[in-house]
Amino acid sequence: MVKIENLHKVFGRDIHVLQGIDLQVTAGEVVVILGPSGSGKSTLLRCINFLETPTAGIITVDGLTVNAGKATKEEERKILQIRKKTGMCFQSFNLFPHMTAIENVIEGPVTVLGQSKSEAIPYAEELLDWVGLSDKRDVHPSRLSGGQQQRVAIARSLAMKPDVMLFDEPTSALDPELVGEVVEVMERLADEGMTILAVTHEMHFARDVAHRVLIMDGGNWIEQGPPEEIFTNPKELRSQQFLAHILN
Amino acid sequence: MVCREALFYASQVTLRSSSMSVPQETGGSSIPAEAHAVLEEIENRQKRFKRNTTIALLALTVFIFFLFYIIKLDFSFMAKWVGFILTGMGVTLLVSLLAISLACVLSILGALGRLSKNPIANSIATAYVSLIRGTPLLVQVYMWYLALPQLGKALEELGIPGIQNALTLPAIPAGILALGVCYGAYMTETVRAGIQSITIGQREAAKALGMTETQAMRRIIFPQALRIIIPPISNEFIAMIKDSSLVSLMGVWELSYRAIKIGRRYFQSLEMLILVAFIYWLMCVILQYAQEKIETHMARGDRRVH
Repeated sequence: MVKIENLHKVFGRDIHVLQGIDLQVTAGEVVVILGPSGSGKSTLLRCINFLETPTAGIITVDGLTVNAGKATKEEERKILQIRKKTGMCFQSFNLFPHMTAIENVIEGPVTVLGQSKSEAIPYAEELLDWVGLSDKRDVHPSRLSGGQQQRVAIARSLAMKPDVMLFDEPTSALDPELVGEVVEVMERLADEGMTILAVTHEMHFARDVAHRVLIMDGGNWIEQGPPEEIFTNPKELRSQQFLAHILN
Repeated sequence: MVCREALFYASQVTLRSSSMSVPQETGGSSIPAEAHAVLEEIENRQKRFKRNTTIALLALTVFIFFLFYIIKLDFSFMAKWVGFILTGMGVTLLVSLLAISLACVLSILGALGRLSKNPIANSIATAYVSLIRGTPLLVQVYMWYLALPQLGKALEELGIPGIQNALTLPAIPAGILALGVCYGAYMTETVRAGIQSITIGQREAAKALGMTETQAMRRIIFPQALRIIIPPISNEFIAMIKDSSLVSLMGVWELSYRAIKIGRRYFQSLEMLILVAFIYWLMCVILQYAQEKIETHMARGDRRVH
């Protein structure tokens, strides 16, 4: 479903954030990316839908292959296609503040897919219901709690019927008591067979929901495997140190 | 914010304070008696401020009319000519409205140019803003009206037929172009600042949904920027209403031109100028009211207004 080959990202001239990452994610797989701050987790995620332009490397999403070294019109067209097939949730939600919850959710289908409002609304209502917010249908984001905003943001991504969901620290900006409602939605998404790549500090999600955990440090992953293995028996010294630090 | 909450409590408290002086239950929490006094004082201070401001404004108005009285301002003269002067309002409004429309279009194009990565678009927009902002509007008005025909003549001699006539503009179109182009340059910077004030997260969210740059601008960035730029744009509009008097330089009989003519003819400029100033002021007050209405409308969804 997602294939990353030799991905490099350099900021400025010499800040080498991603150093030749290879990674493959199969359909329906839930992958959690862990690692210390500055290890390139978010950048990796953001390179998959080209919110960051990779400096070099080949990215394949759902059969669409983009070579980051080339910057042709053809590649740009493919990048737009990839973005339609990948949903993304941000740490700061980034809901559109001038639109109500339902308007946020139909924005993608209407503007990008060219559906009419009346076509888009039934599914959008279904999604709001699925994230437990049908009563907030006509409310603007400023009137929603952080957890509610993030759930609308998830519904907004799902409205595009994506094949892959990217979560970039979706609960980091939330008050502790609001984290659960967002994680619960992510779990249900995983249960329904969605392919998920998540950068998160929610250990419960990593341990119980993820199929695979990836530990990153210094611009590449240093260890990966099923959560039970990574959490109980990490092989790399740096993973041991990192896990010891966050689990205590 | 703290103050607003205090006021909220204060208003709750004053409803009952006449009958109660002991701490009372308000939704589970009790406000101690000492706090009531503080909250009431805050509310009273607000009330006093409002009352005193009103009194001061009234006093100021009375003082101004008193001044008019002692300098023997000729109100009957003003009444006699007010109709004649008001006939010029049509021209003032026509010039202002068309010029602000032109300025809006130019400012959006200018802002997009200033933010564009295309070197040609970017440099044209930058040169436009720099040149127009850097020269007096007065010079620009004459440039459109007096200098352009000369340019047309030169071009005609170079072999472009009919260009001299096309570039010889009547006064009102020349005025509209001068004002629109000039204000468009100032507003370009306003619009650009508005667009840039929208957080990068909004653009990223739009892109992540698969929107093109144009779609993201049209659907997500610009509507949010618009809300921010309404107050400064209204400012420009108000300034333009008054600058439209510059078309009188080309002999157009608009508001101020009429007032000055009549004032000079009868040596009663004071009356005529006060009258025309008052008419401009009234127009601007109406605009200000419209601006407030638009702002409230645009602020839907913003927590600050609820």
